[in-house]
Amino acid sequence: MTGFIRDIMEKMMPQPGGIDCGGVMAQLYEYLDGELDDPALQEKIRAHLEKCRRCYPRYNFEKAFLRFVSDRGHTSAPPELRRKIFQTLLEEEGHD
Amino acid sequence: MGEDSSGKQKEFESEALVHLDTLYNVALRLTGNASDAEDLVQDTVTKAYRAWDKYEAGTNCRAWLVTIMRNTFINQFRRRSKQPSPVQFDAVEDISVFEEVQERDPEGSFFHSIVDEEVKRAIQELPEEFRMPVILSDVEGLSYAEIAEILELPVGTVKSRLFRGRRRLQQRLYEYATEMGYIR
Repeated sequence: MTGFIRDIMEKMMPQPGGIDCGGVMAQLYEYLDGELDDPALQEKIRAHLEKCRRCYPRYNFEKAFLRFVSDRGHTSAPPELRRKIFQTLLEEEGHD
Repeated sequence: MGEDSSGKQKEFESEALVHLDTLYNVALRLTGNASDAEDLVQDTVTKAYRAWDKYEAGTNCRAWLVTIMRNTFINQFRRRSKQPSPVQFDAVEDISVFEEVQERDPEGSFFHSIVDEEVKRAIQELPEEFRMPVILSDVEGLSYAEIAEILELPVGTVKSRLFRGRRRLQQRLYEYATEMGYIR
């Protein structure tokens, strides 16, 4: 299906959640990040994603990506650094 | 060493040092190596401890610490490291990885085949402008407003840098997964 025909068909279809795909995609990260201040808009996007076969997979992919970065991007402080920091604080206290 | 100083140390431990992992992680992404990262964490913690009476109890301690770290990095470390080159809008950001993989792997399972080291390298290779928002938001879970405060940027700029940084990161991970044959 060409993009043109798809666009026309989309315009004819009722928009789930009362918001169009473009609107959802433009605010997808804010939605995923919990950064939308307006609860009504949040609900619209949620309702749209629940029904839209085009937007849902995209949402799902971005969600998986963000979870992946959050799980795998982290490095813990080495225990040796922790020990050094406590040592530094003890020395600082000695100077008080 | 009086009771006051020991009270101060206890307070500092419970409010500030709980964020040590965050500080190390941010330091690592700022400096790009473990040894400089450790020095940067030490300097940051020492400065924060000395300025502890200026910290307003109950406010955002993590953001306060990361701000001190960023300023310390700018003042001390960057002088010795290479200046970042100005970032141009890159064609890579026009490409959506989802569109590339939606037929083959719409759930992004390929991400999980990528080894940790490669994930960290990909983050490290992001230009600093994008790296910091991505680390602070996606790894450390800070809000747009907190990131805006730390990086001294408008919230709108944080949003657009996050968008661009995430796109670049996805693209880099996708390229790696393709090279390794995780995506066919």
